[in-house]
Amino acid sequence: MNPSNPPQAAEYGGDEVSAIVLDPGYSTTRAGFAGEDAPKSLIPTYYGKYNADGQEKLVFGDDVFVTPRPGLSIHNPIGKDGIVEDWDMAERVWEHSFTSRLTGTKAGNPFQNGLNDVSPDELPTEMEVESEEKPLSDSPLLMTEPGWNPAKAREKTIEIAMEKWDTPAFYLARSGVLAAFASGKASALVIDIGASNLSVTPIHDGMILKRGVQHSPLGGEYISSQIRAIFKANTPQPITITPHYLISSKSAVEAGQPAQAKYKTFPADKAPDASYRALLEERTLSEFKECVVQVWPGPTRLSAPSATGVSNEDMARTTPGRPFEFPDGYNQVFGVDRFRAVESLFDAKAAIPDPDSSFPPPTPAQTIPELVKASLAGVDVDLRPHLLANVVVTGGSSLLYGFTDRLNHELMQMFPGPRVRVTAPGNTSERRFGSWIGGSILASLGTFHQMWISKKEYEEHGPNIVEKRCK
Amino acid sequence: MSLASGVQIQDDCITAFQDFSRSHGKTKYIIYKIADDKKSVVVDSVGKDQDYEVFRNELADAKDSQGRVAPRYAVYDVEYELPGEGKRSKIIFISWVPSETPTLWSMIYASTREVLKNALNVVTSIHADDKSDIEWKTVLKEASGGKA
Repeated sequence: MNPSNPPQAAEYGGDEVSAIVLDPGYSTTRAGFAGEDAPKSLIPTYYGKYNADGQEKLVFGDDVFVTPRPGLSIHNPIGKDGIVEDWDMAERVWEHSFTSRLTGTKAGNPFQNGLNDVSPDELPTEMEVESEEKPLSDSPLLMTEPGWNPAKAREKTIEIAMEKWDTPAFYLARSGVLAAFASGKASALVIDIGASNLSVTPIHDGMILKRGVQHSPLGGEYISSQIRAIFKANTPQPITITPHYLISSKSAVEAGQPAQAKYKTFPADKAPDASYRALLEERTLSEFKECVVQVWPGPTRLSAPSATGVSNEDMARTTPGRPFEFPDGYNQVFGVDRFRAVESLFDAKAAIPDPDSSFPPPTPAQTIPELVKASLAGVDVDLRPHLLANVVVTGGSSLLYGFTDRLNHELMQMFPGPRVRVTAPGNTSERRFGSWIGGSILASLGTFHQMWISKKEYEEHGPNIVEKRCK
Repeated sequence: MSLASGVQIQDDCITAFQDFSRSHGKTKYIIYKIADDKKSVVVDSVGKDQDYEVFRNELADAKDSQGRVAPRYAVYDVEYELPGEGKRSKIIFISWVPSETPTLWSMIYASTREVLKNALNVVTSIHADDKSDIEWKTVLKEASGGKA
């Protein structure tokens, strides 16, 4: 081996290059190598923007949470409906998700990296003009997308992958199909609750039945807005969430007593934008959802009288509450309110009104039972019983305590005839990363090579090839 | 083309199926599996026993090389009688992915199902993840379109 020739890429690691799987969500973006059990890179899809020295700077990944820089504002390239709005920034965020932890930056020329002593006369006389290094030149890329992603957005996605990242092979998979497959089913009704959307996707023989795809904004962030409404009306006192960055010290207080904390204050010209605070408040709300919030188990709605004549709400009052401590030390036991926060996912009338919320009050058509009804109405009558017998639950917000039990009750009441069966992976990571894991398995199969759209095919047919090949 | 694993169907699968459909009920079923190398679908067994329960038990007891429950595909020749119309028979395609199956194999079986079903050209199919999903009455109802 001639030491003056830089080694070939394959000689660095010796390993076969594996494909990268990218599962871009509204709240988080998941990326990792195909064949692994969980995505190695999990970053917020939110990014930060601020000005320093008269220049606009951007912050990606977990760094957005860390420093409350003056004027730091938080943005999201994906719209509330789960479809990309800002393509330039979506590209930057997605690129960060794999370059930060998976592919790394490209190795430079060893003659010029300062680690090798090379006398000037040994330098190659003709420097090859390297074309600009692109981040995925060696890795096939499988991406996921929501079932309602429009054709334009799909074409734009393959364009970025092929032209900006230079991936040699690409595939775009519907996340609903991946979730159904991961449960062993080629036909299923997939109910996915993510951060910004609640969706119902009927799948038959591995294909999405487009006319039956339904979605509404009643996802994780909507639930957060309901919790905020509860906090506002809370007794003994309204609760404000003060994120950690605004607290310099706190001391323990009795439950329900005002917080005893020293707060940090920022002068107006040093303070981050309100969107930064909102993002950090959302983290406390996520914790609250995991520890406190519970779905009323049913079989009847929270507002309904139970069989004994006592209302369900009164029944809920008698169950033991759950304590929660806020970053400023305020703590309280939450009783019936912890059921009320999510009841409107099933019963629009149960929504807690809040004139300040960015979410308009939900309509009955946006609730889970109505979305399922509308979804089934959009598919062939003969398929409906098969779909109801194969309901697959996925998405991070579906981990709310008691969610699948209630869903089961609601569906059985609505469809008393056919057999209803709800499947949900018991394992948290499979529920949160269901589509990523499905994509990881497929892209790692040796036989999957025939599915990939190659660079050559893309160049020959243009971005529209994604419509033909990724159905 | 819908999303698929790319796992190939071995020619034997098709030949065995042709023999099966020409046997006019002598062969009752074929069980298929995906080979351990995850590259192709192969014939696991061919059964002639006329007792449906023999088939059902064989399918439900399928194990992988380490002795754990494992998924399979099958085709079964369902014979039934319609009042006034006489004997009928219909081939039904069954995908069997028990709920304890590891995600890896669930994914591979689900994403190969359509390719096999289309290669065999069987229209009627059911999916089962529990032994109660493949009771005779369920299979009969599906095969006869609810008439028997």
